[in-house]
Amino acid sequence: MLGENGAGKSTLMKILIGLIQPDEGSINVHGNAVRIADPITASDLGIAMVHQHYSLVEQLTVWENVVLGEPSRLNRADACARVVALSERYGLGVDPLAGVSRLTAGQRQRVEIIKCLRREPRIIVFDEPTSVLTPAESEQLFSVLRRVVIDEGRAVALVSHKLDEILHATDEITIMRRGRVVDRLTTGTATAAGLAQSMVGRPVSLRSEAAAFGSIETITQSVDAAPVSDRPDGADASPAGPHAAAEMPVVLDVRNITVIGVDGHRLLDDLSITVHAGEIVGLAGVEGNGQRALGDLLASLVAPVSGSVVVGGKAINAGRPGALSAAGVGIIPEDRHDSGCVLDLSVAENLVLADLDKVSRRGVLNRRALEARAIELMDAFDIQARSPHAPMRSLSGGNQQRVVLARELSAHPRVLVAAQPTRGLDVGAIEYMSERLRRAARDGVGILLISTELEEVLTLSDRVCVIHAGRIVGEMRRDDIDLERLGMLLGGMAA
Amino acid sequence: MIAFAGAIGDVLTSSTMYGSTVRFAALLVFAATGEWVAEKAGTMNISVEAMILTGSFTAAIGSYLGHSVWIGLVFGMLGGLLVSLIQANMSHRLGSNQFVVGLTLNVLAVGLTAYLNAKINPTVTKAGAIKIPLLSRIPLVGGALFGQTWLLYLLFPLIPFAWWLVYRTRWGLEVRSVGESPQAVDVSGIDVNKRRRQSVYFCGLCSGVAGAYLTIGQVGSFGTDGVSGRGIIALAAVILGGWTLKGTVGAAVVFGFFDALRFALPALGHTVNPQLLATLPYAMALTTMLLFAHRGRQPSALTRPFVRGLT
Repeated sequence: MLGENGAGKSTLMKILIGLIQPDEGSINVHGNAVRIADPITASDLGIAMVHQHYSLVEQLTVWENVVLGEPSRLNRADACARVVALSERYGLGVDPLAGVSRLTAGQRQRVEIIKCLRREPRIIVFDEPTSVLTPAESEQLFSVLRRVVIDEGRAVALVSHKLDEILHATDEITIMRRGRVVDRLTTGTATAAGLAQSMVGRPVSLRSEAAAFGSIETITQSVDAAPVSDRPDGADASPAGPHAAAEMPVVLDVRNITVIGVDGHRLLDDLSITVHAGEIVGLAGVEGNGQRALGDLLASLVAPVSGSVVVGGKAINAGRPGALSAAGVGIIPEDRHDSGCVLDLSVAENLVLADLDKVSRRGVLNRRALEARAIELMDAFDIQARSPHAPMRSLSGGNQQRVVLARELSAHPRVLVAAQPTRGLDVGAIEYMSERLRRAARDGVGILLISTELEEVLTLSDRVCVIHAGRIVGEMRRDDIDLERLGMLLGGMAA
Repeated sequence: MIAFAGAIGDVLTSSTMYGSTVRFAALLVFAATGEWVAEKAGTMNISVEAMILTGSFTAAIGSYLGHSVWIGLVFGMLGGLLVSLIQANMSHRLGSNQFVVGLTLNVLAVGLTAYLNAKINPTVTKAGAIKIPLLSRIPLVGGALFGQTWLLYLLFPLIPFAWWLVYRTRWGLEVRSVGESPQAVDVSGIDVNKRRRQSVYFCGLCSGVAGAYLTIGQVGSFGTDGVSGRGIIALAAVILGGWTLKGTVGAAVVFGFFDALRFALPALGHTVNPQLLATLPYAMALTTMLLFAHRGRQPSALTRPFVRGLT
């Protein structure tokens, strides 16, 4: 099951598992029409789902999680034995006594798989199973899937927006777009470019799509090889060019910043980074090396213990709420639901939230001005919503991100900090976001792109800085990027 | 300063003081044990106050009508259960805000019990004290723990039972999970709101026992201001106890001590402003909530209502 974010894949699967009730239509399981009222009914029908998140209780141990929802009496020894048996049968290596909160994303997923297989389901649904996995873990997951299908005759529905794993792991493909099935085909006859096109509904620039191509090395290469050759010439170079940007004034100068977390751990350690006007600086790094702290710092969410932040030549008291925003630093936060937008307000309200002066007088909002402003921005940024008054919650991830982008860019910032701007977005939305960032740079905004997607950093940046353990450990210009050295820097090795 | 040290010394060597600490603490422990279970499942059950008060009133009615302590106890439990039925179904079936429901019930219970009490004016059969042989002869604490009304002894099986229920049964596993991660529990095929309702019922039964203990075990009559905020203190005990049963019971005993101090200090001949002394347990409860509210790891989904569907 392939489709962009917001295409309706997860909703369809939630209907199958009884979490959402359909308003119309029918479901047949083994030829019989059924009504799936709740997850218990689904389980009785032999349907089980490995969820994207939400299905393990962190404070419990593995075996407690596995038996959760069973009707029988609690029997620790027996439950542990069954976990070990399943773990061995599928080569999953799961310890029944481990606490779930201490497991990695990959291990948690294996626990979920055990929990799911223990009920001997005949139909297993995997919802975006590789979004949190490393390439090796994804490879292992697919080998388990093959066993389940070929040796044990179970049916597997794999939901994904990653073309490579759909091509790699499935027999048949159904493509969804905007809540409808738009295509069904046999995997043998499918090509990456064709799938991408029917998924988005139009031809896509495959260079920006690279970030959406996932994790499995060999597949990524074969998929990537063809499109890269026919990408539009020079579309990925920002027109100002790296050397031109260096002559522009410095708009953001972060000097020797140290931020200490609540547990006394140094999140940023004497970190310095500069961004010129019209330049895209990519901050590459493995997740958890201080990216979040830097984003929080530049949003005035945390105060540094030492160092200074200079915006457009003026030193700013970074820890004072709103100080950096007032100085002209726009931010696309890492977690858009948490700090990027207010899900329960309308699209229009979200769009004007950062700059209410324009649409209010003496503290009273002018509804008409607000609506006009919202419609103007929705047009300019191609935001698809029923109306300006539609709740933010009802928008797809890509459209929510456009709202955040529109709000930040419409305030005409000097600096735009984009933290993981394309995380969780689909091909079309990634393409759009990349194009918008390039355009903003052309207009003279200094852009700091914080991303764990190396592909994205390399595609967009004029200059790449590498962060490791809260420090900048290396820097290279776009024209002398050495992938080997970059790899070592990312891994924390001096090079 | 010397007078203060002297007062503390008097208090710690007075076996009367241990006795009254236990008597005051028992009420709190009954209620706090129930509240602990409710909070484990994710309900910050402030109507525990109304549950105790209603329980203490219905216990009076029961013992008046049946001329029996046992009937009083059963009525007390039913009274607590009645309030919990309203709280649980309003907040975990109809989706009302648990605090609004709780607050309303607390105010309602005060008015309603006062009215009915004036109307009926029940005379209460009081439960007698039972001295447990040998154990009650332990110096200082023996009489305090083992020379009390038999209703208090219900605590001794209740505490281990509650622990076993929460940590060793499937129901308990589900209750703990519901308080931590309701979405995960829902997809595992468990009725989240049903478990939450059941845990509130448990709290209602325990609080009902607390109320019955107050009326038939200690006072011997129903007093409209007999509970006066002790339910809230039981709730504070769960917080101070860091959401462990051991901690909860310990905290309830500490609060019981301060409650007892109100009467012990004047009795031992120390003059303290009585109004100020009366605020002591509540000031302590507030202070400890302020200091320790974030110390223990509270259930992640505490106070968060559960609605199935899109998230």
